[in-house]
Parts: sequence; structure tokens; C-alpha cells
Amino acid sequence: MPKTGSLDPDSTLAGQISIVSGLPRGGKLPTLEQVRGPGAPRRFPLAIAETVVGRGQQANVTIDSALLSRRHVVFRRSGPELSLADLDSQNGVFVNGVKAHSAVLHEGDTIQLGDVVFVLHEAAE
Amino acid sequence: MSEPSFVRFWGTRGSIPTPGHKTRRYGGNTSCVEIRHGDFELVCDGGTGLRELGLDLVQRGRPRVSAHLFFSHMHWDHIQGFPFFVPAYAKDSEIVVYDVEAGRPRVEELLHGQMRSEYFPVNFGDLGAEIRARTFEQNVVELGGVTVRSFEQAHPGKSFAYAFECGEKKIVYATDSELDLLLTNQDEAGEDPAALRRLPAALVAFVEGADLLIADGQYTDAEYPHKIGWGHARANTVADLAHQAGVKQCAVFHHDPLHSDDAVEQKIRAACDRLDARGSRTLLFGAREGLELKL
Ligand SMILES: [Zn+2]
Ligand SMILES: [Zn+2]
Repeated sequence: MPKTGSLDPDSTLAGQISIVSGLPRGGKLPTLEQVRGPGAPRRFPLAIAETVVGRGQQANVTIDSALLSRRHVVFRRSGPELSLADLDSQNGVFVNGVKAHSAVLHEGDTIQLGDVVFVLHEAAE
Repeated sequence: MSEPSFVRFWGTRGSIPTPGHKTRRYGGNTSCVEIRHGDFELVCDGGTGLRELGLDLVQRGRPRVSAHLFFSHMHWDHIQGFPFFVPAYAKDSEIVVYDVEAGRPRVEELLHGQMRSEYFPVNFGDLGAEIRARTFEQNVVELGGVTVRSFEQAHPGKSFAYAFECGEKKIVYATDSELDLLLTNQDEAGEDPAALRRLPAALVAFVEGADLLIADGQYTDAEYPHKIGWGHARANTVADLAHQAGVKQCAVFHHDPLHSDDAVEQKIRAACDRLDARGSRTLLFGAREGLELKL
């Protein structure tokens, strides 16, 4: 029997509910689904705190498109919040068709960088 | 090319905060928009979004916050964040609040009033920041690099729009304005909902050529007949104003507290369709918490 007020690892829901802050339930990661542009269709899970997308090798996600800057945009995870920031890219970042310098993101948002289009999934497989 | 301006939405909801899962996308905080231009920190309204702006300013590590606060008017949803604006408690901060109308400094007095001990535990007088009141002169105030103009709007108790000229950019903040009471072609617009809703020339001139217009478009066309006189506009009428004034981008603002994210999206889609049908070059979108534009 567990002591009052403590968690019993055998009877709690470990593995079904994540209590680590910043990790969505069930360990599903927010994911960028690339629906257009070179390499599409494919998915990029946002597994780390900051994911840089660009054309260059210094980016965490490299996409071979001449319309992308070397380091084009960064996706950040902070607790449950997902956001992006334009890294002074040449062609800009469009969130749902609006040119954004930065934005807090939500399920289903479309993000366009040059000829590359992503759809954001807050917690995909 | 002149220095860029940054505009960030900290609160886009009208009337009352609406936290919860139905409003996550557009946000539940009430009116607050930040404009940064060079060293200028310009703040439009102090709704609950102002609390988060204050926390962010501290986090940005700005040693000393110097902010200019412009209030459209003093209804609750535009001032409620002020007592929670952390920089107001910091001894080395400087906050300037603006009155459009000459006479006693009414804005400061009303901010004072909402912090009376019956309402709030901390007194206005105990705020550490230096808080100064400044008045527009003939609807203009020059900040040395930024010019701000005011324009009186149709709202119970009246409200003001502000046009910020930051270098070559023009940003207009125009919330809590019942545009639909001002139409110069009421009859035609009443008979044909698709007809362009014409607004007074002085208002169109005030907004003319804005790089960004942030405007109250709380209601759909279907809702408005039940809300006449409440002080807010139809989103479709905002679209028509933006089109008439040759606005580049228009952010529909002050979303109805009854509207879920899906409802806001439908309202915005209808306004975009209206602009498309006119072949308009104005880009319209729903103002959304956490979105920052670079102009
Ligand atoms: Zn309001
Ligand atoms: Zn009001």
C-alpha cells in the first residue's frame, strides 16, 4: 500500500499520462506536416525545444528550396505553448496567409515559407 | 528604408475576458496592442492583455521600461489590465498616459479610481513608476519620431481612434466604434447588404493608406440588428472601410465574447469574401493573440 499522499508507481497511470511539463499527453509530439514544396509529403516532429528550418546545413530541418533562407524560421516549444519566429528570412513567414514576424501557433495552422507549406499538428503520432 | 515597426496583439477579445478551449486560437484577453518603433514602446489600451505584455517586457530584460499608453476609452475591458502591469510597480519605469481632450487629466483619474481600496488591494499612489499625464493638442501629439493623431468615434460615452505615423508606416488603432451608425448611404446599404457601406470622408481620410488598420469588427451582419447602439461594428463594414481607405492590411479586432474560434473564423471568412468580390487589394484577417507583425 502506498503511503498517504505519495504516488504508487504500480497503480498510477505512468505511460498513459505524461506529467513532464512541455510534453503533450501520451508523449505525442507536435509535428509539422509538409504538404507542399521539395520533399513533400513528409512530417517533421518538433522534438527539441528549438527547431530551425532552412535551406542550410546549420538548420535542424533542411529543405532544398532556393526560396528558403539558410536559417529561415525557428519553432519553439515552451511548456504547452508552440510559437515561431522569422529569422530575418528573405521571403518571410506566412501564418494562415498573414506575414508574421512571430506567432503563437495552434492546431491546423498553415505556415508558408517560399514554396514550402506546413500544416501544424499540436500532438501527432 | 526607414526603421521597421513591430505590432503585437496581446489581447483581441471584446467586452470581457473569455478564457477556455473554445477561444484558444484568437485568445481570451481583452484589448491590448503593442507597437514598437525604435526605442518607442507604444501601447494601445490596457485590457487584460496588458498584464502579459508587462511580464514580457520584464522578461525581455529591459532595465527600464518607458511606455506610452493610449486608451481608446475607459470601459472595463480596456483598463482592467493596468493594475497588473508589472512595470508600473518598478521604481525606474516611466509611463505616460494620454488624454485626447484638454482639461483635467481624466485618464489618470480613472486609472486611479479602479485601484481604490474597495476594488483593488494596492493604491495607485503606491505604484513605483513615474506616471505622467499628457494631453493631445488639437488631436495631435508629437513624440519626436512618432506622430500620433486622434479621431473621435461613435461609442456610448465616446471613444477615440489613434493613427501612429512611425517613419514611413501608418498604423491605425480604431476599436469600439459603431461604424454602422455612420454610413452615409444608410438606405442603399439597408436595402442591399452587398452594397459598399460608405463611411464619412473625414473618417476615410483618417484611415487612408494605412499599412495596418486594427478595427473593431465584433459582429456578423446577422447579429448586428440585435446589438444596435452597443457601440461596435459589423466585420463586413470594417472590410468596406478598409477597402475605401486603401488600407494594406486590416486586422478585425474586439471579437465578441460569445464567439468561439470557429465563429470568429466564419465572420472573418465572410469579410474576406466581401473584399474578394470587390477585387480589393486589402488583406483582411482576424486579430489573434500572440501574433506579431513587422511593418
Ligand atoms: Zn471594448
Ligand atoms: Zn467600450
